[in-house]
Amino acid sequence: MTWLAPLAGRTVGLAALAAAALVIIAYLLKMRRRRFEVPFSNLWKRVLEQRDANSLWKQLRRLLSLLLALAMAGLIIAAIQAPTLGVTDRRARNVVVLVDSSASMRAVDGDPARPTLTRFARAQERTAALIDALGGGDQAMIMRVDAQATPVSRFASDKPMLRKALDELVPSDTGADLPRALSAAADALRGRANPLIVVVSDGAYPELDRNQVSWAAPADAPPPAAGADPDDATASFATAQLAAVDLAGIDVRYLGVGTRADNVGIVAFNVRRYIANKAAFEVFIEVENFGPEPARRQLALKDGDTAIELLPIELAPGERKRLIYRQLPGGASQLSAELRAVDGPGGSDPFPLDDQAWALLPARKKQHVLLVTNDNLYLEGAMLVYDNIEVYKATPAEYDAAPAATVTNTATGKPYDVVVFDDVTPAVIPPPPINVMWFHPDGAASPFAIRGVLPRPRITDTADTHPVMKWVTMSDVNFDAANVFAVDASKGEVALVRSVRDAIAVARRDAGRKLIGFGWSLAGTDLMLRVAFPLLLVNSLDWFAGDDSDLVTTYPTGTRLRIPLDGLAGLTEVTVVDPLGHRGQAPVVDGAVTLVTHQIGIHQIIAYPPGTPPDAADATPLASFEVATNLSSPAESRIAPAVDLVLSGRTLEAPPTFAVSARRDLWLYLVLAVIGLLCIEWITYHRRITV
Amino acid sequence: MALLAKSKPAVVSTAGAARAADRSALFDDRFLRTLEHLHMVSRKVFAGNLRAERRTRKVGSGIEFADHRTYARGDDFRYIDWNLYGRLDRLLLRLFEEEEDLHIYILIDCSDSMAIGTPPKMHYAMKVGAALSYVGLANLDRVAIVPFASKMLGRMPPARGKNRIFRVFDFLRTVDIGGQTDVADAMKMFVGQHKRRGLAVLISDFYDPRGFEEGINTLRYNKFEPFVLQVYDQKEAAPNLHGDLALVDCETGELREVTVSKALLDAYTREHEKYCKELEDFCTARAVPFFRTHTGIPFDELVLRIFRSGGFLR
Repeated sequence: MTWLAPLAGRTVGLAALAAAALVIIAYLLKMRRRRFEVPFSNLWKRVLEQRDANSLWKQLRRLLSLLLALAMAGLIIAAIQAPTLGVTDRRARNVVVLVDSSASMRAVDGDPARPTLTRFARAQERTAALIDALGGGDQAMIMRVDAQATPVSRFASDKPMLRKALDELVPSDTGADLPRALSAAADALRGRANPLIVVVSDGAYPELDRNQVSWAAPADAPPPAAGADPDDATASFATAQLAAVDLAGIDVRYLGVGTRADNVGIVAFNVRRYIANKAAFEVFIEVENFGPEPARRQLALKDGDTAIELLPIELAPGERKRLIYRQLPGGASQLSAELRAVDGPGGSDPFPLDDQAWALLPARKKQHVLLVTNDNLYLEGAMLVYDNIEVYKATPAEYDAAPAATVTNTATGKPYDVVVFDDVTPAVIPPPPINVMWFHPDGAASPFAIRGVLPRPRITDTADTHPVMKWVTMSDVNFDAANVFAVDASKGEVALVRSVRDAIAVARRDAGRKLIGFGWSLAGTDLMLRVAFPLLLVNSLDWFAGDDSDLVTTYPTGTRLRIPLDGLAGLTEVTVVDPLGHRGQAPVVDGAVTLVTHQIGIHQIIAYPPGTPPDAADATPLASFEVATNLSSPAESRIAPAVDLVLSGRTLEAPPTFAVSARRDLWLYLVLAVIGLLCIEWITYHRRITV
Repeated sequence: MALLAKSKPAVVSTAGAARAADRSALFDDRFLRTLEHLHMVSRKVFAGNLRAERRTRKVGSGIEFADHRTYARGDDFRYIDWNLYGRLDRLLLRLFEEEEDLHIYILIDCSDSMAIGTPPKMHYAMKVGAALSYVGLANLDRVAIVPFASKMLGRMPPARGKNRIFRVFDFLRTVDIGGQTDVADAMKMFVGQHKRRGLAVLISDFYDPRGFEEGINTLRYNKFEPFVLQVYDQKEAAPNLHGDLALVDCETGELREVTVSKALLDAYTREHEKYCKELEDFCTARAVPFFRTHTGIPFDELVLRIFRSGGFLR
């Protein structure tokens, strides 16, 4: 007999003593009798004298009652330690089943006889058969393998529980990290007898991943040779020994699924606006034929719901085709590319996941800008170079006379998108959502707190990462004076330009709009004569419009994304809505959203004010933007299944037939025995046999 | 466990004793009316078949008028009340107090064991004793009440005439009760203190560890006419018990641990019946009138049964 949950001898002894003490106390309590008054005990005496002839047997019966109770306590203590019979069977194994849940497992070629069966469904069937074939002494753990390795069960021999965990698995849209999964499985099996890893997969792993395995223990590998280049030898040794997955002593087997290798997929899809012409954009698409046969498809490019390009393409085996569409007009922000099947041989493939890709265009619109100035030729001239805006003008007196009316565009009847105050600091600030820019805000009405005036500042630092300061060089610009702002980071204020420690230009988001303050007057600087000036204006207006040509909006699935959030201070997490509509939370670290995506499609990232409950869907967000995730993984698109999986030169065999061992858990029988004894004790007590 | 049980002090009667001690409502008006009824019935009995037994009574030898009775053949003509004959045209004999009149001693067991039962056996015994006293008083016998346990607990001196029944009531209400049963010692004390022989009505449950024989024989050997009345409670004969019990003797405090099963209960019932039968056989063999009753039978019914069987009314 083996104890699966053995307790220390001292613990067992203490537990037994405590149980025995409890039983004996209960026995004594049970023996405490109710007192009853009788008029003439001699009668009872005479009756009992006849029965006392068998008093020895009576005592023995009482003892039997005590012994029954002690036996029950002993059985319970034994049951706690989970005794088993037959676990000494050396053939019993500890198995980790790695179920490949990566994107390639979505290929619909699980079984030629069943056209709709995916590889993943077939893998579930094969894993279920494997679980059913486990012997009584075998214990198995199921681990999901995609971009991460996630155990979905503990080591157990409970087949229904394992089947349930298996049935709840769903494939993801990410690649598979085989080395990480093997490493996790090896760690889980460390110290267990007869370790076995079964990889249930299509075997479509990159060669680099397949060779990142060490079958020998690290100590057994030879150290760098004495005559070799020390640096190279040490580096290669470290790479081989430290990066490799140690599978020494572990039996690794392979259950393959999948039958077809033909696939054409989009491996790259991106889009960008032209800097000079924001109304146009260009698209980059890369399509590859991963199959062994020539393939034909129709490539559809859509701007929103409008198809802007339909192109038949033919690809030779292994051919990768790069397509660039230039000067495409369009206003929608969401672009998608689709590979459509065509009739005839080579016209379709079983893997639809890489036949679609999405990309997002930075927002673009023609902004209406109001200049509140007493005629500034330089400013007006600089504005003219930017054809993405329409400029209107008002004097400070007009604005002060009727602020609300002045900031409303009489042509459109709507508020201006941007108001620029040139050397004017009005008492009334235009309301949201109007974005506002000040040159030389001054006095108590300044939207940014001013803590002093700096004469002849020298620009020593610019916030190069901020969209407003992109490509702007101000190191040789001269100013006669500039107001110094007290930057309040808690409001999300960012210093754009500093003279040593003094911020002389700041920006922040405020109630859904953006504000910029430049501390200098345009009348007291030579900035207007520099290239930096129109660039600064264009960057500012683009930032107001939410247009950032550097903004990357297309990401591959399964990778860790870091998406910067400019101007949003104090956030610790944001809400992420995936393409299936599931809402989740993602942390904000150092001003950037950090998340891993598992679904292809459009993800929406919504930033709510700090302290908003995660489930408050009706709260007003601070900001919201989208990112597109595509498979974009040639490794996953290369779906050719491996009949034999070779890891570091070793071909994995099919799993062995599991020996049916005779191990049997005894705790249930012990508990049944206790219940039986309880029944016997109850019956004998109430039938006056053991009392 | 036995050690634990024995270490505790023995519990002697508490609730039962308190209940028995409360005798305030024992003899009410209703009880008195019942006694009158019994007396009338006893007269009928006397006027019937049992009349001959009463003829042995000595009348006329005294000087104090006691009562009248109907003339019977053979009566002394000198005692015929001719005045009444003139008025009623009936021959009535004048009765005078007998010098050697009959003494009736009502011996009531007032030990702790008599306090048990619902109602307490002691109350039942007192009612029966009072009823018999009334009949005796009404018949101009000298009636004395002697409560006892292990010794005599008191004594109501002999009285005569039914107006003395209230003395009987008062005495029975106030007499001390309690103690262990010892019929033999009590009877020895009784015969030692009472030289006038007579009828000794012994009312008890006879739960005496020393046995009942010696006590009854003491009365017999000292020329008393014992009249034995055993009172028991129905729950004593067939107790409704089960399980593990510590039985405490209400008199001795003796503790006895038993596990009562049905078989044991049956054995006890048989043993109780056997004990009562032993008492009855003992009395029958010695021509001692014996009655056994339980407290469920109304006391007047018992008294009537006593009358009808003879032995008390002579």
